[in-house]
Amino acid sequence: MTELNDDKLAAAARRLPTEISPERDLWPGIAEAVRAPRRARWTPMFAQAAAIVLLIGASSAVTYVAVSGQQGPVTQVAPNLIFEQTSFGSRYNVGPGFQDARDELVAQLDVELARLSPQTRAEVATNLEVLHEAIFAINEALERDPDNLMLQAKLVNAYREELSVLRRVGGLTRNVMMRNDI
Amino acid sequence: MMKKLIAITLSFLLVMPVMAEEVDETLDAAPDGQVDISNIAGSITVTGWSRDAVEVTGTLGRNVEELIFERKKDKVTVKVKVPRHGGRGIDSDLHINVPQNSSIDVSAVSADIDVTDVLGEQRLHTVSGDVSSESAGNDVEAESVSGDVEVDGDKSDTETIASTVSGDVTLFRVSGTVSAESVTGRVIVDEGSFSRVDLNVVNGELLFQAGLRKGGKLSAETVNGAVDVELVGDVSAKIDVSTVNGRIRNCFGPEPERTSKYAPGWSLRFTEGDGDGRVDISTVNGGVKLCRK
Repeated sequence: MTELNDDKLAAAARRLPTEISPERDLWPGIAEAVRAPRRARWTPMFAQAAAIVLLIGASSAVTYVAVSGQQGPVTQVAPNLIFEQTSFGSRYNVGPGFQDARDELVAQLDVELARLSPQTRAEVATNLEVLHEAIFAINEALERDPDNLMLQAKLVNAYREELSVLRRVGGLTRNVMMRNDI
Repeated sequence: MMKKLIAITLSFLLVMPVMAEEVDETLDAAPDGQVDISNIAGSITVTGWSRDAVEVTGTLGRNVEELIFERKKDKVTVKVKVPRHGGRGIDSDLHINVPQNSSIDVSAVSADIDVTDVLGEQRLHTVSGDVSSESAGNDVEAESVSGDVEVDGDKSDTETIASTVSGDVTLFRVSGTVSAESVTGRVIVDEGSFSRVDLNVVNGELLFQAGLRKGGKLSAETVNGAVDVELVGDVSAKIDVSTVNGRIRNCFGPEPERTSKYAPGWSLRFTEGDGDGRVDISTVNGGVKLCRK
């Protein structure tokens, strides 16, 4: 009985394919990875992130100095201007310092927005939402392709653009209202 | 009779503050001096003329405190002073003639800015309104938050910086270096030849139809939107085009390649001519067209 089973097992084993191909061709990716110069993929990105944090820090300090002497009610930031969690794909985060600095800029923006017409306020809010959606879309793409340098650069650019919008709206309004050189 | 007189007097007193004040003043100015202009709301039109004088005409809003119009050495100042809290009745429409070679710095919050025939440097900033500069012959920095920005140059080598948050940026016949960006809107560069071009849009199209000089660099980036680049004249550059979701159509160079069998992205990398310049084009969601003529 045991011998019979062994024979069946041996016959079944002989019928098995002698080699199994992977479901998809992995070699091009492996070969490319082996050929590619090894580099710390997070290094340029974190360098850029660090640059942004520094940029925000400096900007925040300048903005704080500029507005600290002003009197006026500070209104709550509209919920739709609260930013989503900053991240670089699924693997990277720029940390709470970045978010804190950006929150500060958003709070200052709220003061400046109060000086503008409802239409302009709405347009600024809409465009910040556009930026958030873009950041979300890039992050989604990065989830699928975390090592895509173009996407990483685009994400950094999107964050930079967001900060640029915050500063421009606040800066333009404040500068015109308070120009002392004229 | 007395009642009638009182009624007429009251009517006159009521109507009087509503009336905008006309302004028509002129000051001598340096032929190539600086003119700083600030008007919170209304409109600002600046025109370069052949006289060595600055002339301000137009109307001031009924609640405007005063028009500051003065000259200190080579700098002329035109400022509409309004109550600190702003409010209604501050809209002022100003037409200002300046010496053609003046440099100008114009600031507004809720006003359109139109500049024509000014050959000095221009700094034009508004929050809510369109910015337009025609026949610009020098460096221009034009910025709006909510409004279109348009600069029409004379093809002389200059530095042009144009940005808006919500609106289109259109640059005609500028040359040299250019940086243009919009969050929601189109960026168009038509004619001219450049050593450096940086175009950035988040939601919208990018259109570039101009020359790239030897050793020149062109960067065109969008997140959601198509990019259409037509390089005029000889092309000598390393070209790198990539998309995440979108096709690439090119009229020269090799066929684009899929970035992966499993993703919808495309890339195109090649060297044209001596390859001493750079063309970098990328978009996340949108197609790219690259041609030359």
